[in-house]
Amino acid sequence: MRYLQRVPLLPSNGFTALSGNKVPQSYVTKVTRAGSFNDNKRSKAALTRSTQWRLVESAGLRCLTAVELPPAASGRSPPQAARRNMAERWSADAGAAVYRSRDALANLRIRVRIQRVASSALFPDQLKEEVVRRQEEGLIELDTLRGPASAAAEDQEEQVVGWQEKLFSQFEVDLYQTESACQTPLDRQYHRDIAALARAGGRRNLRIFTYTDYDRYTNLEEQHAQILIPASKSRPTFLAERMANVRQRRHERRHIEGQVPKSRLITWEPSEEFMKNSHVINTPVQTMYIMADLGPHGKLGQKENEYVLCTVKADSNGVITIKPDFSDSKGSYRVDTEGEKREVWQLTLENASAIISPEEKERERRMYTDLYTRHKDYLSSLVGQDFEMPPAGILRLLVNGEVVSAKGYEYDDLYVRFFVELPKNWSSLSTQSLSGVTQTCRTRTVGKDSVAFFSYPFSFEAFFKKENEMEESLPQWPVLYFEVLSLDFWQRYRTEGYGCLVIPATPGSHTLTCSTWRPLQCGTTAELRRFFIGGTPELEDISYVRVPSTFKGRHLSRFGFRTVTTGSVTFTLYCMQHARAFVDAGVLKKRRQSVLDQLVGFSQQGSVYNVLEAFQRARRRMQEARESLPTDLINTTTPLTPGGQP
Amino acid sequence: MAELHIIGQIVGASGFPQSSLFCRWGVHTGGAWRLLSGLREGQTQVDSPQSSDTAFWSHPIDLHYTTKGLQGWPKLHLQVWHQDLFGRCELLGYGYCHVPSSPGHHRLRCATWRPLGSWQEQLAQMFVGGGPQLRSPDVIYSGADRYRLHTVAMGTVELELGIILRNFDKYGVES
Repeated sequence: MRYLQRVPLLPSNGFTALSGNKVPQSYVTKVTRAGSFNDNKRSKAALTRSTQWRLVESAGLRCLTAVELPPAASGRSPPQAARRNMAERWSADAGAAVYRSRDALANLRIRVRIQRVASSALFPDQLKEEVVRRQEEGLIELDTLRGPASAAAEDQEEQVVGWQEKLFSQFEVDLYQTESACQTPLDRQYHRDIAALARAGGRRNLRIFTYTDYDRYTNLEEQHAQILIPASKSRPTFLAERMANVRQRRHERRHIEGQVPKSRLITWEPSEEFMKNSHVINTPVQTMYIMADLGPHGKLGQKENEYVLCTVKADSNGVITIKPDFSDSKGSYRVDTEGEKREVWQLTLENASAIISPEEKERERRMYTDLYTRHKDYLSSLVGQDFEMPPAGILRLLVNGEVVSAKGYEYDDLYVRFFVELPKNWSSLSTQSLSGVTQTCRTRTVGKDSVAFFSYPFSFEAFFKKENEMEESLPQWPVLYFEVLSLDFWQRYRTEGYGCLVIPATPGSHTLTCSTWRPLQCGTTAELRRFFIGGTPELEDISYVRVPSTFKGRHLSRFGFRTVTTGSVTFTLYCMQHARAFVDAGVLKKRRQSVLDQLVGFSQQGSVYNVLEAFQRARRRMQEARESLPTDLINTTTPLTPGGQP
Repeated sequence: MAELHIIGQIVGASGFPQSSLFCRWGVHTGGAWRLLSGLREGQTQVDSPQSSDTAFWSHPIDLHYTTKGLQGWPKLHLQVWHQDLFGRCELLGYGYCHVPSSPGHHRLRCATWRPLGSWQEQLAQMFVGGGPQLRSPDVIYSGADRYRLHTVAMGTVELELGIILRNFDKYGVES
């Protein structure tokens, strides 16, 4: 395992969730780290058995609890020192920890160490001294004190367990030795394995054994774990039932990202199995239980003495859940046994997976970097390096737009005719079409208005070049003139409105709605004609809508001109402006300059600009060259001599 | 060497006379544009709304273009169809909109229209269904021949597009 990244979890409330009995409130506050307990100055005898032994049982599952033991006052002999170390660091946190790993699960190794905590270890040193003193006086028998130094070999064990590694317990060895007891192929496999082990010289584990994913134990385990609330008659909910056996389901059909099955998209009659697979989260999880047989000496092999030390769950995405967590920093765990004789065992879990060597890690990192660089190069080679640019000193305006809709008009079957007028200093290519006619559209009632939808696309580009530098006027932007007309089945042709729209000067997306008007002629005959035949007064020069092109005076007067308001037309315009000046402005870090400022000085003072640009380039080159020189060659500061003279 | 990302969805359509609708969409660009990744066209599923009149598709659009010039900016064209109980498909509208050129999140409402035939055809359409369709759909996105058409307005298609531009400002394009 290269490394295991820990996913932070909420602080585990393992004790409260799993306990069948209520944990006494006063007890919970006592669970603290070693060292702080001393401050309480409670006498050791006050810790009665009832508070020390928190026997937690939930449907037959033995859980790990954690409790604080008083640390020994001082250590004199090695056994006592060992005892103190053992007792000092008990972990209070028995909750699960979630890790993520990118490496193969087969590399996972866990070192499990269990050790019986002898009953005399519960006695702190002072009491022991007292007992020793009394012993010398012949009052207490010697037998009662059995130091940990006399611990039999059966009282501690250490194993390194790999992922899904099957270690047999005494019970299993006894069970599978006889061939007649084997029913399933798994049993027969175990029988063969045990026989092979016996030939090879016995198994290497004594008390610690494992249940892997295939064992029947794991089934029972999951069902029991489902009951979170200790209600007497709680049935699992619908979702819990569906997800109960999620571990056993394997994904036959791996869904590849982005690929949809081409045939049989719909299953008309889904089977129960199919529903179970599809309706709930389907991450198959493999479980493994590291167990210990904590029976007394010589009486191993009883199923009642099996206790769960550690539960390891892993799924195919590399998420590993270990319950309880590795005990590296948190102290050991404590397993309480039941039965006639209640004992305490100390459990330590360590991550013993092989760490990836730094060379390998470096090699992998380089490989990934190479891969990404090559992909990036490939992409940029597809993209290419060139981009068409307008000539220097010219602003190119590109407008993508559409005539969206028209609404609020009297008659039906509307169409829009428009053209773009370019003022002076603007030009466009001769192949550019600057006008258009939409289709004729019959209106529909939406809300209270009758609307006609055109969705007519148009786009044009124009070039701006400031000819005369001396004029100080702002550049005029192109104007879109349009008229709305109606032509119906009877070939009655009417004008419905005139309008105009100035192309916005800021680039971006604009949605503009323009109201229109049409000229009105007084008198009923004009109205009758408009209704029956369809002729209407029209504008000769449509630019009259704004400022007539023939207008040269100082005051524009439209006095006497009668119009009537008609509906409105909606346009959507996406404007883009493109100029070489914007590139250089970006390089020189000018922000938010107006277009005029950026264009200033091109035509007549263009040569001055070129000189400036050449100067900038030369300066940059000099700076780059300077940077590449070693620094001791350059001495930019002149040393000051006394008197201030160089 | 500039790149454009279009990431968004066709949300749905509303305002159509019938309700079980699907949409065929496509993106059309000029010659200087090249598609690097993504599907250029597609067809949504058929949606029959139970209560509201808005059909929701939520069809994803994820395109990555590269371009050598500004001309031929991508345009999105849509055809909204109706599928009835018997499985027959009937055209309900053609729609068109430009892909926005400014970066950011845009909500577009694309208006659609349907070609109208003669009054006999309209009468038949009222009873039997069907109706005239365009011979070649590129009339939708080029405006040159549109004036020959006689159409009627239909509903609107709603789109949400996120636009990301890359390297455009290096070439002096303000958008």
